[in-house]
Amino acid sequence: MEYLSNDKILVVDLAKGDVEEEELSEELVAERIGGAGVNARLYKEYADDDPIVLGVGLLTGSMYPASAASVLTAKSPVTGKLCHCPVTLKVGIEIKYAGFDYIVIKGRSDKPVYLWIHDGVADIADAADVWGKDVWETTDAWRKGVGDDLLQTMVIGPAGEKGLDCAQVCYNYWTGPDRFGIGKLFGQRNLKGMAFRGMGLLEAAEPEDFVDEAFELLEAVKGNAFMSKKGLGPICAALGEADAEEWLSPVVHRHSADYFTPYATNTFAFIDEDPAAVTETAKPEPGVLISDIPALLAFKKLGLSALDAAKAMQACARQGVDPMAAATAGEKGGKTSIDDILSQVAATTEPAAMEGNGVFSPWCPRKPIFGDFGASDTDAWWERRQAVAAIFGIQPVFAVMCPQLTEESMISLSNIGGELELDQETLDTVIGDIAG
Amino acid sequence: MENRPFIGPSLGIYTGTGASHSWLWFVDLFEKAGFFDLTFLDEIDVRRGGLDGLDGFATAGGDTFALAEALGPRGAEQLARFVENGGIYLGSCAGAYLPMRSSKIPLDQFNFVDVRITNLTSALPTPQRMAGKFCTAYGCRFVFHPVRETVTLVIDGKSPAAGSLIDAPLYGGPGMIAAGDAQVLANYQGFTDKTLFLTDRRLAEKTLIGTAAAVRQEKGRGVFYLFGPHFEHPRYPEANRFLLDAIKEEMDRKPVGTEKPTFWRRNARPSKAGKALVRDVKRELSNARIVAAGLEMLPLQWRIGEKIYEPTKIRVFLDSLWRRIRPLEKADHVHFTPGCDAKMLRLALEITETIRTMKHRIDENLDATPQAKELFHRLQGLSKAFLQLYFDTRAAEAMSDFASFTPIPGELN
Amino acid sequence: MGIKIDALKCTNCMACEMACGYHRDDGFAFLSACIVPYRAREKKDYFGVLLKEEDSLVVARPEGTEINRIGEEADPDKEADASAKPMLLREACDLCEDMKYGPMCVKICPVDAISVAE
Repeated sequence: MEYLSNDKILVVDLAKGDVEEEELSEELVAERIGGAGVNARLYKEYADDDPIVLGVGLLTGSMYPASAASVLTAKSPVTGKLCHCPVTLKVGIEIKYAGFDYIVIKGRSDKPVYLWIHDGVADIADAADVWGKDVWETTDAWRKGVGDDLLQTMVIGPAGEKGLDCAQVCYNYWTGPDRFGIGKLFGQRNLKGMAFRGMGLLEAAEPEDFVDEAFELLEAVKGNAFMSKKGLGPICAALGEADAEEWLSPVVHRHSADYFTPYATNTFAFIDEDPAAVTETAKPEPGVLISDIPALLAFKKLGLSALDAAKAMQACARQGVDPMAAATAGEKGGKTSIDDILSQVAATTEPAAMEGNGVFSPWCPRKPIFGDFGASDTDAWWERRQAVAAIFGIQPVFAVMCPQLTEESMISLSNIGGELELDQETLDTVIGDIAG
Repeated sequence: MENRPFIGPSLGIYTGTGASHSWLWFVDLFEKAGFFDLTFLDEIDVRRGGLDGLDGFATAGGDTFALAEALGPRGAEQLARFVENGGIYLGSCAGAYLPMRSSKIPLDQFNFVDVRITNLTSALPTPQRMAGKFCTAYGCRFVFHPVRETVTLVIDGKSPAAGSLIDAPLYGGPGMIAAGDAQVLANYQGFTDKTLFLTDRRLAEKTLIGTAAAVRQEKGRGVFYLFGPHFEHPRYPEANRFLLDAIKEEMDRKPVGTEKPTFWRRNARPSKAGKALVRDVKRELSNARIVAAGLEMLPLQWRIGEKIYEPTKIRVFLDSLWRRIRPLEKADHVHFTPGCDAKMLRLALEITETIRTMKHRIDENLDATPQAKELFHRLQGLSKAFLQLYFDTRAAEAMSDFASFTPIPGELN
Repeated sequence: MGIKIDALKCTNCMACEMACGYHRDDGFAFLSACIVPYRAREKKDYFGVLLKEEDSLVVARPEGTEINRIGEEADPDKEADASAKPMLLREACDLCEDMKYGPMCVKICPVDAISVAE
C-alpha cells in the first residue's frame, strides 16, 4: 500500500523475542479498508496465538478532520468477544508516524518487556525496571530514557500486572477507552506497554485534491454551533446532565483536543493548583486529564465533588484501573467519601458492566452529542458509527458529535488519498463483519 | 571516463576538521549526477596520501584556519602533488580561501592560486545586522562579509554560456581578483531580492560587483577551481550545472584513466553482516534524531571553536544519512571495507548516548557544550564512514547491475 | 506581516503543525513544521505554541508572547561565525508564500487561534 500508509505490518513474537515485517498489500486494504477492519482479519490469521492487534485507520494522521485514532483489537476477557478499543489523544497518530500500520503481538515474554517502536524500527526492550511501577512513573522513565518528552505510550499499571479484568491500557499518563480489560492481556504477556515516536511522511496519491476536499469539509464542520464550546462540561449538558458543567467548573484548567479534532474532548482538572493559573505551575503533578465522560458522571453520581472526582480519576490513571470499574465498585460497596473511594481504586478487580454489543467501548457516550444524525435506532446507529470511526481512524467522541463527517466523505477522501476504489458496499461488508 | 561509464569520476570530499556541513551538499550534488565513486577524507587521510588516484577533490565551507591547521604542511604537500599530477581541486567558500596566496600562518603553506580577495579591510565597516556573522579576524586585518544569501553572477570567458546570468548563494565566500595565470569563470553581477545586506549597499557593491566569483588556475597537469559562492548548494540548479560541467570538461581533457574505481581499491566487499549493520545503524540514527528534533524548537546554541552551533545542525547530519538508509535496505548486498563496521556502530551508539546526555543536561539547565563538541565530532565521523559504505554499495551495484538500485527519496530526486 | 497566535483559544490539536509540515514536504508529516504546539510538559498541562521565524523563536503563551532571538551569539563582544551555512531543515516561517490558501496554519486551525497580523 503506497499511500496514506507505511506499507508495513509488524509481527512481534514475545515468546521468541523476535520481530518480523510484512508488506501491507493493496488487496487487503481494498477488501478490509483499515483500522478495525484489517485488525480483525489479522486476528483471524493469527487466531491460534490469540494475538493483540494494533492498527491505524486508513485516514489516521491525515488532513481529514478528527483523523486522530488508531485501534487496539483483542479478545476481551470482559466480553469474550473480539473488541476494538480506540487509541486516542496523540498516541493514535504517533503509531502511524512511527512507521507501522499494523502490529500483531503474539506469545508471552518470560520477562517484563515493552515495545519501542521508532521510525520503522521495532525493539523489544527490557521493562524490568518499571515492572511494579505505576503508569506515570513508567511513562516518565521511558521518556527520560529515550530523551524525548513527546514519546507516546501505552502503559499498564499495577492492575494490569496483576491480571485484573478492570485493568486498562492507559495512554501516556491518562485513562482511556479500554473497558475491555486489554490491560490484563498486556500483563499476562509480561508486556508493560509500548512506546512510539517517529518522524515519518505519509504520501497521498492526489495531495492537492485531498487537501481541497478536507478543507471544504472542515469549513462545514466549523459551521456547527458546538464549535463555540470546549471540553467535557458542554458534552455532559448535551447528554442531559444539565448541572454537570457547573459542578465541574471549579477544577477546570483548560481543554485540549485529540489530533486535529475540532472539538476539545479532553478537560484538564487541577487538583493541587489554582485552575485559573495561566503561567506554568511549579507543581510537578497538579492534576489529571479527563476524557471518560461516563466515568466522570458515575463519580458525580456517588456524590463526589468535582475535585474529589478528579482525585479518583488521577488515582485510576496511575494504577491503570478503568475509572468506570472503580466507580461501579465504589457504588456497590456503598463508598461515598473520597478516602474510601481512593482506597477502593487499588482494590478494584471487577470490570464495569458492559453496555452495547461489547465490541466498541461505551467510554464513548452512546447517543448523539450536540448534532442530529436523524437515526431512529440509536443503539444500532452508535455501533455503526463506532465501527466507521474504528475503520477510518476517526476520534470516536467527535464521530458521534459531527454529522458532516459522513461515511461518504471518508470513502471519498480514502479513494483520493489512497488511490483506491472503495465503495459503500465494501464498507457495509466490513462493518457487518466487525460490529458483531 | 570510458572505462567506468556508470559511476562517474573518482572524487574525494573533505569531511575533516574545519569542515562545516556544506560538504554534504557536494555529496547530494554528486549523487544526483550519478557520481558514485566517492571517497570521504579527513585531514589524516589527506596527509597519508588519500588523494592519490582520485580525479578530483572537493572542499566546501567551514573554518579556513582550522582547515589549514589540520591539514598542516604534510597535507599542503599532498594537495600540491595531487594537482601537479593532474588532480582537479574544487573549493567553495572556505575551500576557496584555502589555496590562495597568503602570508598568514598556517595559510602560507597553501600558496597555490594567484588571486587576492576584495573583502579584506583594515578599517572595519559598521555592520548593519548580524553582528556575529559579519567578520572574522585575519591577522591584523579583517575578512568581512558585505552580503549573504542569493547573488547574481555573470559567466565570463570564452564559453558559449558567456554573458549568461546564474544565481548562487554566498555564505562568507570571497570576492576575488585574479592575477597571473588565474582565469575568471564568473563575476559577481548584482544582488537579488533575496540578498541580505550586512553592510550598506554601496560598500557591498564596491566590494563585490565586478569581482570574480569563480576562478580556474592550472598547475602542473591539474587545475584549481575556486568558487566564492556555494555552487554545490542543492537549491541552485544553474550553479550546480556550472560546477558539474566544469568537472566534465576537465575529465574530457584528461587522458583515459586505467585506474580501477576507488571503492575497488579500498577492498569494499559485499558482506553478509551488511544488512544487520544497516539495521543497527538505522536504530541509532532514529534514536538520535528523535532527541535532536525535540531540541530544535528550543532557543539553544553552543559555541565550539569559532563557530556557533544550533540544534538543527545535528539533524542536518543525521537526516543526510537517514534518507540513504532505505536504498541500502533494498540493495541486494551492502559493500564495505572490512573493519569499518565496528567503528561505525560504535560511533552510532556513542551519538545516541551523547545526545541523550545533552538532553538530560539541558533539562537540568546545565551547560551541554562539551557534549555538543563531542557529538558534532562523532557526527562528522559517522557521516564519513556511513557515506563511504553507502557509495561503495552504490558504485558496486552500478558496476554489476546499474538498474537494480532505486533512487533515494528526498531532495535528491 | 506575520503569524499571530491566540494561545488561549488553542486546543493543542497539532493541526497547524501538520498543515505546516504539508507545506514543506508535500505529504502528511510534522518534521519540517515551523509552528509547533508545545506538548513537552504534559503532566503539568503547560501549553503554548512555538513559531520559528527568521532569527527568532516566538513562544505564544496564554499570559503573553515571548520572543527569543536565535542564531546569534549571546555575547556580542565575542567574535562569532562569519559564514554560517543554512541548514535547509525546519525552515523559518515564509507565510506559505507559494500556497493558494495562504498560510496553511491559519487555514486549518479549527478554533481560529491563528491569524495573520498585518
